[in-house]
Formats: sequence, C-alpha cells, structure tokens
Amino acid sequence: MCPDREIISAYFDGEIAPPWVRTIADHITGCERCRSFYEELESTRQRLRAEPVMNVREPMERVRRGILSGARPPLRPLPAWRRRVEVPLPLALLAATALIALGLGLAVAVSRNGFGYIRVTRAPAGGAEYQFAVPYDKVESLLKSVGGAAANSEDVMTLPKNVKLIPVGVPRMGTEAEYPRKKR
Amino acid sequence: MKLTKKHAVVPMLLALAVAKAYGQDAASDPNEALQQLLSKALTISISARVLPQDAQTDTPIWNAESTRLTIPGRSIRVRLDGEHVRIYLVCTPYIQENGEVLLLAQGQVWFSEPTDNESRYSGTYYAIPMSFGTPVFFYPLGVSDDEAQQKDFFNIELEIKIVPYESRQ
Repeated sequence: MCPDREIISAYFDGEIAPPWVRTIADHITGCERCRSFYEELESTRQRLRAEPVMNVREPMERVRRGILSGARPPLRPLPAWRRRVEVPLPLALLAATALIALGLGLAVAVSRNGFGYIRVTRAPAGGAEYQFAVPYDKVESLLKSVGGAAANSEDVMTLPKNVKLIPVGVPRMGTEAEYPRKKR
Repeated sequence: MKLTKKHAVVPMLLALAVAKAYGQDAASDPNEALQQLLSKALTISISARVLPQDAQTDTPIWNAESTRLTIPGRSIRVRLDGEHVRIYLVCTPYIQENGEVLLLAQGQVWFSEPTDNESRYSGTYYAIPMSFGTPVFFYPLGVSDDEAQQKDFFNIELEIKIVPYESRQ
C-alpha cells in the first residue's frame, strides 16, 4: 500500500520522523508510482533553483516609504460639477438664511406686483395693452377716483311718469347723418 | 456639511428672479403708469331725452345726462327706468389703429303694455366707428318713418358722445 502523496512530500522536505524515513525510502525505491512522484518533486525543486532570485526588496521598500510618509496615490481629477466644497457649519447656516430671505424677497416682490401696479404695454401697431396687476376692486377705485363714479356700476335714470312711451319699431342706433333731427 | 456648486445655482437663480421682479417694478412706475392710463382714458357722455313723436320741436320734455370715465375695452352701463319700460345701454369703446373710436353698443329694451301682463324684449348690438366728439344716437323704442306722427306719444333718444379724458381737463 502506497503512502499518501502528502507524506511523500513531507519526506521530500525532510519532515518525517526518523523511524519512518527508512520505511518510506524503501517503498519509494521499490514502487514505480511513488518513485515517479518523488522524481517530479525533485525536478520541480531543480527548476526553482535554476530560476534567478526575484529582487523584492526594492518594491517592498518603496511601499514602506509611501505608507510612512502618508502620501496618497495620485487620483484622477474630478470634473468641476462633481467637486465638493467644504463649508463650515456657521457659513452654511448663514447661506441657508440668505436663501430663505431671498425666497421671501421674491414672494414679496411677486405680491407687490399684485397690488397697486398698472402696466401699460405699447403694442407694435401703436395700440396699448393695459395690464391691471391689481385686484378688480382697486381698478374700480382708481377709475372712481378720477371719474367720480365706479367704473362698472350702473347709472340709473328714472324716466318721467305720465308720459306715453310706445315702441314704434325695433331699437336703432346710428350716427347723426343716419338720423337727422327732422326724422327723429 | 458640504455644499456642492450645483446647490449654489439655486440661490443665484432666486437672486436673479428677485432682481428681475424689482427691475420690472422700477420700469413700471405707478405714477407713470397712471399717466399713461389716463392718456388713454375716455369720457363717455350719455344724454337721455324724451321727445315728442311729432318732431315739430327739438325741445325735450325730459332729459338726463350721465358722464362716465372708462378706458378702451371697458364697458359702461346705463339703465333707464320707466313705468312700463326698462332700457339698458352698455357701451364699450375701443380705439382703432387709425385713432378713431369703435363703439360697441348693446341695447336691451323691456316693454310691457299698461293693460298687458306680458313683456316684450328687444335686443340690439351695434359696432359703430365714430370720431371723438361726434354723437351717436340710440332709439330704444325705434324710429317712426311715418310722417303722420301721433301727438300724444313720446320717444326716447340717447345721445352718446366719446371724448378723450384729457381733453376735458
């Protein structure tokens, strides 16, 4: 019965206790299969010995110096929109306050446009476009202030009583040329 | 806490918006806007008269006048109340590109016979180009072409005149 390959490998490395060394050596001598494995190990050792010894000292030293100096490997630069800017907390709070103030200012500006402003836009054709950025009642107040009466109210005239008003036709409207005085 | 440059874009946009809003305010000074508004304002005078049907005299037996201020595109409204008649006149002036006035007028007449429980309704709608100061006449009860007018009956005439507001100052 052949010993395990790991035992043969251990024998090859000289790691077998003396009482077993002679027994394994005799077996390898007489067993074609185990002798072949042993010769394979010997061949590997010879090839490794024939290889030049790798100089790892210099790369190891370079890595050690880098670690001790704290230097980081160079990174690829980020685009501007992905870079981060560190801001102290007070400055960030100040910026947030300013942002809120700007928002409130914008709201006030918009609301101011909604009160008391009348825009007159001159059209290219020569006309004018009136934009009342005021509540409707304020327009009424404006027109009332300059006209003496609310613009949208209704003037009522009371016709005299005891006067026979009879329709003589359909309602008509026209200029003075169409309805001269004698035809009225 | 870290703020990226991307986040800084928001306050910049807000600041621009505020600046733009204030800029518009500055451009539309209320006094200037009011002056521009008044420069376009119009005075509409409506004279109502009750005239004899026979038309032998121009002297009305009754008259009333309403003067209203408006701006182009805004209507004014007048109502005449009688015992058996109610008349509405809605006038909306527009300024045409040639500077003349285009008057859009809507008339409504509700009339009920003294002995009748029913009411009659007539509605008209006119678009009349006119010049400033030139009168336009509205006859809500019609105009009789009959030469033989009835002497005991009367007609109603509304004379509409439009002048620029500033010319009255």
